[in-house]
Amino acid sequence: MMYQDIKERIDYKTALIALALVMIGIISIYSATYDARAAEIFHKQVVWVGIGLLALAAIAVVPFRLLQLASYPAYFVSILLLVSVLILGKTVSGSMSWFNLGSVRLQPSEFAKITTVLALATYLSRSDVSLRKMRDLAIAAGIVLLPVTLIMMQPDTGTALIFFGMFFPVLFWGGASRFTLVAIVAPVATAVAALFGTTPFLTAVLVFGVLIYLTREDWIFAAAVFSLTVLIGVSVQFIYEGLKHYQQKRIATFLDPNADPLGAGYNILQSKVAIGSGGFFGKGFLRGTQTQLNFIPEQWTDFIFCVPGEEFGFLGAATVLLLFMAFLIRGVTLGSIVKNRYGGFVAIGLTAIFATHIFLNIGMSIGLLPVIGIPLPFVSYGGSALLSAMSMVGILMNLYANRKEY
Amino acid sequence: MAQQDDIAVFGKRRTMYAAIGLMFLFFFARLFQLQMIYSDEYGRKSEENSIRTIPKEPVRGYIFDRNGTLVVDNRPAFSVTIMPFEFDKHTIDYLSRLLSLDPEFIRDRLKKGEAYSRFAPVKIKRDIDFRTLAALEENRDRLPGVECQVESKRWYTTRALASHTLGYTKEISESQMKVQVDEYAPGDVVGSSGLEARYEPTLRGQKGAEFSMVNVRGQVIGRFDDGKNDVPAVEGNDLILTMDFGLQAFAESLMTGRRGAFVAIDPTDGGILAMVSKPDYDLSTFSGVTPPDIWRSLNEDEAAPLFNRATLTRYPPGSTFKMLLAVAALETGSVTPSWRVNCGGSFRMGNKVFRDLHVHGSVDLVTAIQQSCNVYFYQAMMKTGLDAWSHYGDEFGFGRLTGIDMYEENPGLLPSTAYMDKRYGKSGWTRGFLPSLGIGQGELGVTPLQMACYAAALATKGEYRQPHIARAIVTKSPRAVDTLTFQTRHIEVSQNTWNVVREGMRRVVEERGGTGGMARIPGIQSAGKTGTAQNTHGPDHAWYVGFAPYDNPRIAVAMLIENAGFGGTQAAPLAGLCIERYLKGRITRYDAPPAPHRPIAFPQALPPLHAVLQR
Repeated sequence: MMYQDIKERIDYKTALIALALVMIGIISIYSATYDARAAEIFHKQVVWVGIGLLALAAIAVVPFRLLQLASYPAYFVSILLLVSVLILGKTVSGSMSWFNLGSVRLQPSEFAKITTVLALATYLSRSDVSLRKMRDLAIAAGIVLLPVTLIMMQPDTGTALIFFGMFFPVLFWGGASRFTLVAIVAPVATAVAALFGTTPFLTAVLVFGVLIYLTREDWIFAAAVFSLTVLIGVSVQFIYEGLKHYQQKRIATFLDPNADPLGAGYNILQSKVAIGSGGFFGKGFLRGTQTQLNFIPEQWTDFIFCVPGEEFGFLGAATVLLLFMAFLIRGVTLGSIVKNRYGGFVAIGLTAIFATHIFLNIGMSIGLLPVIGIPLPFVSYGGSALLSAMSMVGILMNLYANRKEY
Repeated sequence: MAQQDDIAVFGKRRTMYAAIGLMFLFFFARLFQLQMIYSDEYGRKSEENSIRTIPKEPVRGYIFDRNGTLVVDNRPAFSVTIMPFEFDKHTIDYLSRLLSLDPEFIRDRLKKGEAYSRFAPVKIKRDIDFRTLAALEENRDRLPGVECQVESKRWYTTRALASHTLGYTKEISESQMKVQVDEYAPGDVVGSSGLEARYEPTLRGQKGAEFSMVNVRGQVIGRFDDGKNDVPAVEGNDLILTMDFGLQAFAESLMTGRRGAFVAIDPTDGGILAMVSKPDYDLSTFSGVTPPDIWRSLNEDEAAPLFNRATLTRYPPGSTFKMLLAVAALETGSVTPSWRVNCGGSFRMGNKVFRDLHVHGSVDLVTAIQQSCNVYFYQAMMKTGLDAWSHYGDEFGFGRLTGIDMYEENPGLLPSTAYMDKRYGKSGWTRGFLPSLGIGQGELGVTPLQMACYAAALATKGEYRQPHIARAIVTKSPRAVDTLTFQTRHIEVSQNTWNVVREGMRRVVEERGGTGGMARIPGIQSAGKTGTAQNTHGPDHAWYVGFAPYDNPRIAVAMLIENAGFGGTQAAPLAGLCIERYLKGRITRYDAPPAPHRPIAFPQALPPLHAVLQR
């Protein structure tokens, strides 16, 4: 292979953006654990970065065809892992989602996110599959719902949400009809609206009723979807009652974080205080009082965004946002320039996973969304999450390298 | 196999770009809102979180008497505070047992403190003993947010109580808090009566603050910014009084078991030498904590020990008021010094008879004062009239505040034509009121302080000096002595009048037949007047006003013993002893035989300030 050829095949933009975010993550974790006698966390993360880079490089150079061939078996393996974690898994913070491999703990659901994208892409890229066909749509949904169901049983609502966030853009990319898209969003959005009360619920029913009417292709389907939407919205109240107390509290706090600033709303409030008090220039590295004095519990995991927000201010936080935005734009662009149909679905699916993570995590940190335990890709502490994010970047780079293959 | 045709792909790509852009637009807008618009507010919140302000109580100013004797000192005391933010409410019961407090009291305090600030310590008990302190320190780990603070409490060093004059300090009340929101926090000590209240801003000093960094568990992990922002507490300023605590203690001991008041003034400058109100109470029960039962018993005692009789009670002055009428009568020409009245023991006006204690026979003004002849003054009052009398009464400071440096003061009551018209209607009163007023009875009220000022004005021939207790303030930063100034008002009365009236007063004490012989002081000529005031509360009040030495007065006094009977036997001897104690520094009365010609060194009018400060 010629030198020029190698240069052609490496996606520098994706790689550099990801590396920059990893660096910001390491710096932030260093700061968040600086005074907390948790330096161990920092060292572990550095090791994980090394492992992640190795995985990235390995996956990036795997022959493209092999990746495609491994999709279904990998999906099958991840389903097996999810089943076994339900049986053997160790309970961490209220849910069973971890495997103990010696001193290293792995989350099969992280792995399942990737394999589900690969399996879905493999299925949808088949020439005889069309998302306009009811049967094919149902199979595609099944591929996603199987791991989602298993993950919900752990229960890990946050990760399950990621699958939904991934599925929708993939359907859009795969040419699903507008009605299909509306039909998927309508029940979920209505259910969320119902949590806010009757007026938002009725508004959602009205809006989606109109959308369903406008995009309808079949009256019977339209009626069914609309009924389902209403039914789900109504039953949300009952589901809400059945939720675990901490989940209810999270929802209640989301609706009004100030109502319980010392209890359920504490994290959100302290997070907002951290970011807000950073101002434009920030308080300086290792000088953020919220961060250094541990006002945000376990800040190095889900609330890591507060660290650049507090210590580097608007400049730091905006830099992180811009990097993520560039990363997502790059992912979508990659999806559109890959000649291979399978590759396009994979790129869009993985990008959508990143986007959902970013949306939920930063939305939570800046007080726009409820506290859902979703890490910030590349930045948050956590071996499994970092490894899966780096693997995803490896896949994206693989796709780029082979973008011209059909 | 290719993706769908390029046009469709690029269309979808655009939609996705837009979706990503929209998401980040929201994020940026929110960041802008948090970090640019509300950053100050969040900055404050983060400081509240992590910077703990520990108030540093200033040391209250000291109080010295005229001779430089330290009268009010401070002693360290330990107070228990709880930080609402860190406090574990489950420990309330345990804490209440440890401190022997009602758990409800702690809860209540905590609630009020939280309403003020969650990050300000709430004082729940002041002045704990060492055993409690030790128990608290031992159980520190079990009681998060409970701290012991070193404070100072008042410590009274002399034998004298001077309760009403010095006044007490106590924890600020809720109603006081409402007035003084900025300066005080709940649990702060505030001067609440007497000089402590009047000079509160001077004595109090300024609170300081120490800023510490704390972590999420409230543990102090270091000084904030190396203590550069700490504000040291500024010690309160000292007060130097005009009082003589030797005399004060002596007067208090003389009056033990009696109800009444005693005020001694230095007539040369208006400085109060002693001020006693009996019954009194021990100020040290108010320093530190005041047990509620003691507070209640003091408040509910029918003898009203908390009440300053010297400045707040209106008493009828009785015969001690006769000099006022004498001055008014002479000045208006209503009587002359040689005008005589034949006293037959009573005075008839219409169908009303005003009595006298004795039949005095033919008396002139000097003799009438000397023997306290009522009939003479009934007639003099009829000749002088209400207007002239109340004009001179006003000149002598009756019916109005003396302007003493104390908040507790009553103006008393001095009737005038305007007052009578208002009270009874223009035709609702007659001259029949007058004879009683002439002998200091009737609708008339004076405070012992006013009477002492009146005696001082008679002593100085009309220099009415604003009475005051504090003489100077010693400021700490910068260190300086700030001498207080007070007003002097000249009462326009002729020398001859003064001479006649003062001669009468001298004879009261010094000559045979005078009513105040028991106030006589060996070796010192003094002047005075007794009074026996009828009142509605029982037996007569015994009065004595006077000054000494006669030619060069250094002390003017008013002594009142409630319901004791004759002024000449009940008040005069005590007043005489007090005057002697002040002028001689000791009592020589029973020394036998007294050295006849030994000159007595009178105390200086007021020791120079530098001499006081050196002590």
